[in-house]
Amino acid sequence: MTKNYLKTALALAVSLTTLVGVANAQSVRENYAPVTNDMVLNPPATEWLSWRRTIDNQGYSPLDKINKDTVKDLELAWAWPMADVGIQETAPLMHDGVLFLQTNNNIVQALDAKTGDLIWEFRPALAKIPAEWGYQLYQSRRQKNSIALYEDTVVLTTVDARIIVLGAKDGKVLREVQAFDVNKGYSYTVGPIVVNNTIISAISGCSISGTAGGCYIVAHDFETLEEKWRFNTIDDPNNPEQQASWGDVPPENRWGGTPWATGSYDPETNTTYWGVGMPAPYAELIRGSEDGNVLYTNSTLALDATTGELKWYYQHLPRDNWDLDSPFERVLVDVKEGDETKKLLISVPGKNGIFFALDRETGKYLWSQETVVQNVVTSIDESGKVNLNEELIMTALGESPLVCTSVSGGKLWQAGAYSPKTQQFYVPLTEACNTVEATQSEFTAGNATGAMKFGPRVLPEGITEAGLVDAIKVGTTKSEGEGWKARQRASMTSSLLATAGGLVIGGDAGRYVKAWDDTTGEVLWQQRLNAPIGGSPMTYELDGEQYLVVPTGFSAAAGSIAAAFPEIPLPSGTGNSIFVFKLPKQ
Amino acid sequence: MSVKSMLGAFAAVMLLAAPAAAQSLPQQLLTQERPVQGNTIRACVDETSAGAKLDHAIMDAIGDALFLEVKYVEGLHGFPLDGDGYLAELQIQLNNDCDVFLGVSVQPNMPFPEWAKITRPYARVPFVLVTDKDYSALADIPYGSTIGTALASLGERVFATSVTQRPKDQRWKRLPYADFALMTTRMREGKLAAMLLWHPSLLQLAEADPTVMDLRIIGLDPVPTASVEVGALVSSRNTFLRTQIDQAIEELTADGTIDRILDELGIIGSSPL
Repeated sequence: MTKNYLKTALALAVSLTTLVGVANAQSVRENYAPVTNDMVLNPPATEWLSWRRTIDNQGYSPLDKINKDTVKDLELAWAWPMADVGIQETAPLMHDGVLFLQTNNNIVQALDAKTGDLIWEFRPALAKIPAEWGYQLYQSRRQKNSIALYEDTVVLTTVDARIIVLGAKDGKVLREVQAFDVNKGYSYTVGPIVVNNTIISAISGCSISGTAGGCYIVAHDFETLEEKWRFNTIDDPNNPEQQASWGDVPPENRWGGTPWATGSYDPETNTTYWGVGMPAPYAELIRGSEDGNVLYTNSTLALDATTGELKWYYQHLPRDNWDLDSPFERVLVDVKEGDETKKLLISVPGKNGIFFALDRETGKYLWSQETVVQNVVTSIDESGKVNLNEELIMTALGESPLVCTSVSGGKLWQAGAYSPKTQQFYVPLTEACNTVEATQSEFTAGNATGAMKFGPRVLPEGITEAGLVDAIKVGTTKSEGEGWKARQRASMTSSLLATAGGLVIGGDAGRYVKAWDDTTGEVLWQQRLNAPIGGSPMTYELDGEQYLVVPTGFSAAAGSIAAAFPEIPLPSGTGNSIFVFKLPKQ
Repeated sequence: MSVKSMLGAFAAVMLLAAPAAAQSLPQQLLTQERPVQGNTIRACVDETSAGAKLDHAIMDAIGDALFLEVKYVEGLHGFPLDGDGYLAELQIQLNNDCDVFLGVSVQPNMPFPEWAKITRPYARVPFVLVTDKDYSALADIPYGSTIGTALASLGERVFATSVTQRPKDQRWKRLPYADFALMTTRMREGKLAAMLLWHPSLLQLAEADPTVMDLRIIGLDPVPTASVEVGALVSSRNTFLRTQIDQAIEELTADGTIDRILDELGIIGSSPL
């Protein structure tokens, strides 16, 4: 199929939208109240409006009806099968009685949050992407947090690099923009934040040969969808240090730097924070950057939300040679110390699992703490300079060092949660290593589709439990020993949810959703479901009852390390679903 | 058993999956249907690849040898440099849409897992060093000059390996390119002394810009010449088809058909050793 044919197919997409109306959910639809800008910044306690509920990415709910005492009484309220097959990494949202669920292939469903009845379904014709357009197909079979709620709309980012604004009441397309050129290989894999009438998103596909030289965080006007600014993560003409960090490699020969986790926003300083992924090709031996730090890969970027200007950056892993990218959630936390409130940015930003605390006003490094076994970073100076184990940097093709963590983490897209109640950050992690070999593994002759070979994921020596929930005490200085670690055989496969009920909730490859005591790490409740726990569990309250939503389904994270756990068989069916629990009525 | 009946029957082979085996994609994406295709064989070719013309010509000859009508299916393309997702989508296509996937690079440490088997190679095609300057070999190019290389290619691998083994003051710099037209432009601007790419890629460039044929292919010495051995993938469940294709390639090699195809396409290369 030609590129022109592809364009035609994409243009048809909107016209093939399916809208399903269901009569018994009519009242929920008609009474839907807009999500105001103030609500985005300060959501009602009963709702879950953003990927991590709040735009500071904390993943915390102030609800406490489901708590340490009552969690054992949870009952299934309703369940719902997702609309399509694929890797399941969804993050449901809830506002005004409507649960918005994004499923694979950018299908969006609105469900009655109380009953689970379908209100509407938006089904873009992404299946019209030609079968041979493989990368987009692959991404469409992953489903991350691709939606945001704003006013009376649902803002959706798609695998064919569009931003689509849907009516929240009926799922009809209100407007859309082709934000990036899909024919070059650009693809959205995560959703935007929408604040102050601005949609801020970040594009993926930056390791495709056609996207050389440009990977972007971008802002569009919410009403007109006109582009307001874009920031290139691998080519900053305003920063000579950034340019020099790529050695002799000009922008047109640079790849990577994908910001593939949704950013956060601080309204007091009008700053948006995003993490950036690895450089490509992975090994400096191949990419030609010699010993340069290849900025802004594996960095936190603080951008002015109005202009896109860089305020500061901090690089968590310079000179990456192992695809240990660092794009994951940046969490904004205010910590009171005496009369002063310190504004921190905390994160386990990269696959190597190292926790960082930064001053989010200046980008100054404060402290860090290791979590899982890793052998790439030897130390971090007080200045924040990250020192590497240079023995692991491949100096010849064919060298194959054992690198911990593995290319699938450590930490991955599964987000941690911060509880202001305990001042602890809870992180889902997996202990794993793999060999890494710089090579050219051509799949098809003469074509660029491989420059690194990874061995199978194995447990680090002396460790038999892969799964780890690490509770890290957060302050302006390190307090190692005040948190806790909960270990288990099965690897962690979902994001975590922290609640005012004293619970940390998440799940694993063994199909268990668990609630840990947020102060001790004791498992207070667990329930085995139909498939690995996936996506991002969330909670909301309706008519005085608190609901807990648990996504399940096919998990690439579980599959990649399954051989280490022969006693925990994975289902061959995907079973992508959500399970909704609540307490019995008194 | 005939090729025809075997093609129809192989899909019925039961799969006994180890329950805890690594899964890179949902099994529901793999069809279990038995293909009903008569005398046809479904051949996937990446039509954007530089080797697509060669793949078509070879597959036509294989089809003739096996008395099968070849039905072409457009093969996957457009993957990131790390190959992220490629094997998952390839498994789907090889299971659902193709009996054979042409144009695969046959090399040591093959990245393909147990669900695919590779045929014997049907052609051996080299990477070439090309310049618009007055050099006759890489050895004439001053150390420190920059050579453009085809990103993530076997040619780049051999070049980089060889160069990094030399003393630091006797090395050439290297810049990887995925866009070969851009690489050509940069060479003509004087930013690159020469460029290293697969010979069919040079021919593909020349289709869009005939002046590319004015560039000169020069010797790679003292760096060894890298050659890609090109083969095809079949499902590991279909060992009979693989055997049949291997035999066909052997016959096409022996009777000079493959050398004739390479010659007609103007590709520097040879039938497999």
